[in-house]
Amino acid sequence: MAASFLLPVTVIGYIVGIVLAILRTVYRSRTARRFASIVFAVTWIFHTVAVVREGIVEGRLPLANMAEYLLVLGWIVLTLHLYLWYRLEVEISGVVLLPLAAIMTFVSMELMRSEPARSAATPDGWFLFHTTVSTLGMAFLSVAFAMSVIYLVQDRVLKSKKAFRLLDRLPSLQKSDQIGVRSLTVGFILLTMGIGTGVVVNAEVHERLVVMGAKQIFPVLAWLVFAAILIFRPMLGFRGRKSAYLTIAGFALGLLTVIGMTL
Amino acid sequence: MLILIGSNHRSAPVAVRERMSFPLQKLPEAHDGLLRAEGVQEGMILSTCNRVEILVRSAGEAGASAAAVKSFLAEQQNLSFEEIDRYTYQLVEGDAVRHLFSVASGLDSMIMGEPQILGQVKQAYQMGKENKTIGPVLDRLLQHCLSTAKKVRTDTGISRNAVSVAYAAVELARKIFGDLEGRSAMLLGAGEMGDLVGRHLVTNGASELIVCSRTFTNAVLRAEAMGGKAIHWEEALDHLRRVDILVSCTGASHAVLEKQDVAKALRGRRLGPLFLIDIAVPRDIDPRVNELNNVYLYDIDALQGVIESNLEERRLAAEHAKRMIGEEVMSFDRWIQSQEVTPLIVSLRETLLEVGEYELGRYRGRLGRLDDRQQKTVEELTRAIIQKILHRPIRRLRASVDRGDTLECTSLYREIFGMEQLDGEAGADPGDEAPSEASQDGPHRLLDGRNKGA
Repeated sequence: MAASFLLPVTVIGYIVGIVLAILRTVYRSRTARRFASIVFAVTWIFHTVAVVREGIVEGRLPLANMAEYLLVLGWIVLTLHLYLWYRLEVEISGVVLLPLAAIMTFVSMELMRSEPARSAATPDGWFLFHTTVSTLGMAFLSVAFAMSVIYLVQDRVLKSKKAFRLLDRLPSLQKSDQIGVRSLTVGFILLTMGIGTGVVVNAEVHERLVVMGAKQIFPVLAWLVFAAILIFRPMLGFRGRKSAYLTIAGFALGLLTVIGMTL
Repeated sequence: MLILIGSNHRSAPVAVRERMSFPLQKLPEAHDGLLRAEGVQEGMILSTCNRVEILVRSAGEAGASAAAVKSFLAEQQNLSFEEIDRYTYQLVEGDAVRHLFSVASGLDSMIMGEPQILGQVKQAYQMGKENKTIGPVLDRLLQHCLSTAKKVRTDTGISRNAVSVAYAAVELARKIFGDLEGRSAMLLGAGEMGDLVGRHLVTNGASELIVCSRTFTNAVLRAEAMGGKAIHWEEALDHLRRVDILVSCTGASHAVLEKQDVAKALRGRRLGPLFLIDIAVPRDIDPRVNELNNVYLYDIDALQGVIESNLEERRLAAEHAKRMIGEEVMSFDRWIQSQEVTPLIVSLRETLLEVGEYELGRYRGRLGRLDDRQQKTVEELTRAIIQKILHRPIRRLRASVDRGDTLECTSLYREIFGMEQLDGEAGADPGDEAPSEASQDGPHRLLDGRNKGA
């Protein structure tokens, strides 16, 4: 289990970071940006220490149960947010992506608190590979989701010709689209690998392929949605709002998979 | 004393402003003339199409110095005193500094936040330096002014958003496409405004410009002028499939591009968004086109809405800028006041050291014969006592710059220490005992020691 103070401090870091990101977006405050950068860095350090400590204490990769999965997923999402914030200068991700990471970390913390002894078997072989690629895939799909939300906001502002000031706080439409599609592509590849290895793990555990419910159905549905976006984009020029809505729908199916894992 | 005499688009009509402005070639001579004006120690002339500002530092009284600058202006530009009084404003000290900072930051410009003025102030500063009319105070003021203006622009973003139709269109294109590098644009029609938008798009990176007009020869001529490519009117819809931006400005009395035309063009299109700019009145493009996915249509009213929003943003930024300028004016004022404090501190030290030397000389005879070491010790003791006495008053005097009561403080100090008297005759109160003969070499040594030690 992560040290008792690490996750609460991380969650507080997320909350402060989100408030600063909102202040930066609304008021374009340089001070808020400076402090946000510091808070993000400190939060990332605490989250990293929490993940590493969890791995050391359990003596394995911390991906054996839902609490650990969300802890690691939140950490990857935060890392991707930092990349967007510093490298790609998409500061609005602090308002969209960071709350996602915060919720994941908070739920992870609550699960650890409510079920302190829910350690599962040590993941190895295909299962380890399956959980790793699935977690990474979900993190990249989170970025695709965030960029789709941003895209839809931009589209609405540009179409309605109101609240132009908001446009100054957002990346260009094209940039949102590009980052979204790249994240979706990486996420889709990882999801494909995750589903493929999931089938192998399923067959290994049950000695035959068992389709039990949400855990198997939702990822396949999400995969079909993402595949449709990526195939029809170059073929039929499937872009813009439709593509953004479908990405959000695909991500929602991905989330249902995660929720399905806990049931 | 800083004095600014100026005239701008608010104080004078263009007919007067054009008479007041200094042509570039006339400026060196004008700077010479300015320095010859009564009481003027330093000066600078800022002359642009919208304003003339003459800033001077003068030694004399404000009214007389301002009158001297006005008569310089009248003489140089053949203007009557009545015209000058009527169309100019006069600002002194802090108000002059604040005005200069506002001008350089674009707050006083006809189009608030316009960036050209900063370059013009920089040029005027350079011109003043070249003509040797800028001394230490104006040099410091202008440097402070330029750095403040840069800070204002960076921190408030007052110049960030477009306030003309052509720039607003380019700005929107950037919001959609980001970098315009590699983007292609098509001009439909022969309107001047359309050409202006087209030119701005090319200047901002658009790599291809297609010009389409009902008269092909006209399209060819305009395409050549803008570095674009002319096409026939009938080819426009085909090209719509591959361009990113369309600027329409025809003189047609009805829509030339219907929703179904654009929808058809989109079907064969594999590119990103399509940005349509309709600046024609009556409109060229069916407004329902905006309903299509991935298509953004802006007519002249929508562009005007962008400009209004940007102007509002600039107005908000101006409030922030005024607060920043207020702080910078105070900071410059503190520097000016510190310039008054430093000579007083030097004078205060010298005065007390002279008193010390004088008294040391008087008591030399009573001390008897002193060897060199003893003599040095007595001098050091005297200096140490003076330093101790002065330490707190000097600290308080320096602090008066931050408190903003330097003027009161310096006059109080002069009064307390009788500085005016002492400046005239060191050791004005010789006391009742005449100095002994042995004091002849004393006073110099204490001052020398101070000079070495201080």
